[in-house]
Amino acid sequence: MIKFWNKRLELGVLTENLELDNELKAIQKEIKDQVKKKFAGSLAIRMVDSGSCNACEAECNALANPYYDLERLGIYFVASPRHADVMLLSGIMTFNMTPHVKEAYAQIPAPKWVITMGDCPAMEGVFEKTYAIKAPAKDHLPVAHHIKGCPPSPKEIIEGLLEFLRKI
Amino acid sequence: MRFIARYAKELESRFEIVTVYEDAIDKELIAKDTPVIQTLAKKYPAAIWFERKMQDDFGIIIEDAFDKRPLVHQERFPKDTHPLRKDFVKKSLQEGNYVPYKYEAIKGDGIFQVAVGPIHAGIIEPGHFQFSQAGEDMLHLEVRHFYKNRGIEKMLEGKKLLEAKPIIERISGNESIAYQICWRDIVLQATQQKLPLALQKRHAFLLELERIIHHLTDLGFIPNDAGFGAALAYASKLSEDARRKMQEITGHRFGFGAIGFANGFMDIASISEWLKELRESVVAFEEWIMDIPSLWDRFDTTGILSLKKALKYSSVGVVARASGVTIDRRINPFYLEHGFVMASEVSGDASARFKVRLEEVYNSILMMENFLEEDDTQLSLSNLQDGEYSSFCESSIGELFMTVDIKDGIIERFFVRDPSFVNWQAVHLMMRKDIIADFPLINKSCDLSYAGNDL
Repeated sequence: MIKFWNKRLELGVLTENLELDNELKAIQKEIKDQVKKKFAGSLAIRMVDSGSCNACEAECNALANPYYDLERLGIYFVASPRHADVMLLSGIMTFNMTPHVKEAYAQIPAPKWVITMGDCPAMEGVFEKTYAIKAPAKDHLPVAHHIKGCPPSPKEIIEGLLEFLRKI
Repeated sequence: MRFIARYAKELESRFEIVTVYEDAIDKELIAKDTPVIQTLAKKYPAAIWFERKMQDDFGIIIEDAFDKRPLVHQERFPKDTHPLRKDFVKKSLQEGNYVPYKYEAIKGDGIFQVAVGPIHAGIIEPGHFQFSQAGEDMLHLEVRHFYKNRGIEKMLEGKKLLEAKPIIERISGNESIAYQICWRDIVLQATQQKLPLALQKRHAFLLELERIIHHLTDLGFIPNDAGFGAALAYASKLSEDARRKMQEITGHRFGFGAIGFANGFMDIASISEWLKELRESVVAFEEWIMDIPSLWDRFDTTGILSLKKALKYSSVGVVARASGVTIDRRINPFYLEHGFVMASEVSGDASARFKVRLEEVYNSILMMENFLEEDDTQLSLSNLQDGEYSSFCESSIGELFMTVDIKDGIIERFFVRDPSFVNWQAVHLMMRKDIIADFPLINKSCDLSYAGNDL
């Protein structure tokens, strides 16, 4: 265990000052005001996968790694739609998932927003329409914002979330 | 004889049922108007899902099957619709009448059901788990999937093999390189060409890099599910480093589009340096994690899959190797020459699966060092010949099997069996002696794909 703490001290803080950090600082006040007014100080996201390849989920998990540490921005992922402000939707809205996605959306207390991520839910990716696909998501849910990419990198997701916060 | 896969294809006037074993392939022709076959599930339990899928996809009747419930088609799927038949051309479906699914359930005094999913608490893929509980003890688990079914098999029909690649590499994001390598081998068979050694090394390097990324993520998440979050912080840092290397080498964090027939630049000096650092970090991780008794108290004897059951259920990959089954598609001269040593454990529990992953990370680092080579070899492809082709690859989860029929230059039938498809069917066996709170840990220790399974 002593070895571990030595290594820990040696490594220091890993969390990166992304290039957008300056921008971040500038709008952090804006976010805070917005978040305070609309989200009581913190933005809670419920991630729902409606049929992705799992790359979008991997990138969302990466948001919690020491480099990105999303929670320092007051944005965090929650376990239930009933705790959420925003649904972050990935995947291509499969025939089998669509009813469950709608149900999850219904469970989010208002006011609520849907952000789609990745090319799939916008039907802009490589997958073509089949009987089992019900994308684009905007046919089924009121989509407030879209984060492009296949998959969007963690940095692009953070930028996308900021754009969303500015928008509303 | 190990059972690998069973699938159907539609010919002019008949259905062909293909059963793939370790060293044999069985083909059975049946009439289209009376499509009836006998089940293999009595001998190979893993055949159940293949047969239920066939029943949904083609309307093939498994006469003596004891489980005739639909598999891919869920409650709202229209009745008597078999989308993989050639005469099915619809691009959208109307929801049919809601028919409840009959879950496997143990009933009795004080026994209750716990339904989990399809949407789970964490950031993971959707799937359903139905538990029969006696207090905390799990009596039975039914794994129910195919929420993510995208109709990939149908989507690829009618495409040229080269055009199909962007879709194939996105079937399962964690195993993209492995899917691409299977695709590559099919292209090579169809063009009757051999891959130059330099390209083979590059691809093998990327496959091991993908394995490292996936395994490191798991090495963090498995302890995290046992309540030890610090391991996740440590391991997710290492896996992010590896993912950035993937971006540096292939231009994509998941290696989408990485496997081609031209060799690209690799900065060997910096990669070797990184591999060295990575090995040291993993050693430090191992020394730290092995020394935490409360963690191993959770891991040891949790979620045991016995050798006997692993063999019976045709398990593959990390799950099989942790139960003492010696199978790995990398057991061949090319890999052995580059330092491959098969990782293996015998206890079959969560700790065995954790240790197998750890061993494989070390071995992958060693092999990657041996695969590094500066080279600009290119291979120009000749024309693709029609035919039936199949290939295997050891993905980070296990043995991947892909088969493609090409007719008149386009894909007539595409089928892929993700390692998860067989391993999911063995997951319920691991629950026998554990409590429901152990389920997330057991599930994560197998870390199977939902997307690759559901297609």
